[in-house]
Amino acid sequence: MSQMLTAPSRARAARRAAPVVASAAVIATLSGCAAAVDTTVEAEPELQPTTEPEIVVDPSYRDGSFRADGAYQSPAGDESIIVVMQLENDIVTDVEIGLYPTSATSSTYQDLFAGGIAEKVIGTDIDDLDVTVVAGSSLTSIGFRAAVETIKAEALDD
Amino acid sequence: MVGPSSFEAIGTPWRIGHGGAETPVGSLGAALAPDDLTAVLERIEQFDRDWSRFRDDSLVSRIAREAGSWRLPADARPMLALYEQLHALTDARLTPLVGASLERLGYDAAYRLTPSGAPLPAPSWADTIALRHTVEGITLDTVAPVVLDVGAAGKGYLVDLVGDLLAARGVGDSVVDASGDVRVRGERSIRVALENPADPTKAVGVVELHNAALCASAINRRAWGNGLHHIIDAVTGLPVDQGVIATWVVADTALVADGLATALFFAEPVRLAEAFSFEWVRLTSDGRLDASPGLRGELFA
Repeated sequence: MSQMLTAPSRARAARRAAPVVASAAVIATLSGCAAAVDTTVEAEPELQPTTEPEIVVDPSYRDGSFRADGAYQSPAGDESIIVVMQLENDIVTDVEIGLYPTSATSSTYQDLFAGGIAEKVIGTDIDDLDVTVVAGSSLTSIGFRAAVETIKAEALDD
Repeated sequence: MVGPSSFEAIGTPWRIGHGGAETPVGSLGAALAPDDLTAVLERIEQFDRDWSRFRDDSLVSRIAREAGSWRLPADARPMLALYEQLHALTDARLTPLVGASLERLGYDAAYRLTPSGAPLPAPSWADTIALRHTVEGITLDTVAPVVLDVGAAGKGYLVDLVGDLLAARGVGDSVVDASGDVRVRGERSIRVALENPADPTKAVGVVELHNAALCASAINRRAWGNGLHHIIDAVTGLPVDQGVIATWVVADTALVADGLATALFFAEPVRLAEAFSFEWVRLTSDGRLDASPGLRGELFA
C-alpha cells in the first residue's frame, strides 16, 4: 500500500496547492496498489507542503490522507481508479491517481508522468474557457471527479 | 434552457444536442425527442452487438472462435476501407487484427489487465483475412480464428453513424459528443477544449469546429500500469512508445479523425497527409505541442 505514494510525485505535488474542489489540480502519477482500497483516513504528519495555502474554501475538512475509488466505465466495462489526497488546512497538498491492478513500482509509463508532463504543458483552466466540449482523457477524469466527491464527503468536518 | 441528451453507452458517456446557429457556444443544444433518442440507443446497441470483442454474443466474438466466411454488416465497408489505408500508411503497425495482442497484454473481455505471456505481434492481414465485396455486401474470409479490434476508429465511426441516423430523421443540426470524439453538423460552430492528458482540469488548446469532427487519443486513457496502454504497435505486440503522448485530429468525419488520431502515434503527419485531408495537434513526452498550420484554433503552450 505504501507504494501508492512515490517519492518523486509527492515532492512535486507538495509544491502545489489547490482548493478542495473537484477541479483540484491532478498529477496523474500511475503507481501501484495491489489490493482493493477502502476509504480510510490516516494521518500523515510527516508531509510538509512547501508552499503556503493559496485558497481556503468555505467548508472545513479534516487534515489527513484520504483514499477513494472513482468508478467509471470503459469499453471493457466498469473500471476504477484510486485517488489519494492529502488534505491540510482545507488545501489539497498532494494528489495521486493509481490504477487497478498494479504491477511494478517503476515503469517507463510511470516515469513519463512523474517526469513532469503536467509542469511542461500547463495550459489554461478549462473552467475559464468558453467551450462546448472537452476532448481528451475524459474517462479517467469522470472517475477522478467521482473519487473527489467521495473524499469530500468523507473528510467533511461535521 | 434544457441541456442535451446524455447517457452512457459502449462504456462511454455520450452527450447529444441539436440546435442551429443561435445556440450559445457553451451549450451542446437541446435534448433529442424521445423517439430520436430511442433510435440512437438502438443504433449504438446494434454496433456494439456487431463489433464489441468484450461481449460473447457479438459477431467479432464469433469470428474469434472459429474460422469461416462471415457476412459483415452494411456499416463495415467504410470502416474496413479506412483500416486498409491506415494499415498501409503505418507499415502494418495499425491493424484491426491487433485484438489478440491486446488480450495477451491483459486488455481482454475478463479485464485481467495482467499480461498472460510474451508480447504477441498481430497476424499479417494478407495471410489471415480477405474481404470480398459482393452485391449482397461484404464478406470476411478467415483462415483461422482472429480477434478483431476496431478500437482505433470504431467509436468515431459510431459518432458518424449516430449523426447520420439523426439527419435521416430530420435532425440536421446536431452535436454528437462521445467523450472525446465529437462531430458537429449544420449551421453552428462549436469550440472544443483540448484536455491536457496529465491534468484534466487544463486545456492545452481550443479548436473551432464547423461541419467537421474532432477526435482525441491519449495514452493515459485506459492505461493499466507498467508501461501498458491501449495503443498497441501490431508489429511488436507492445504498447507504442515513440514519444507521442496525445493527439487530436480534425477531419470531415469522425471515422477518419478517430483513425488518424491513432495513426499519429505510428506515423508522421506528412505521410498521412498523402492520403487524407486533416488538421492535427500532437503532444510529445518532452512537453512539445505541435500542430498543423491550418488548424483553426489556438494552443496555450
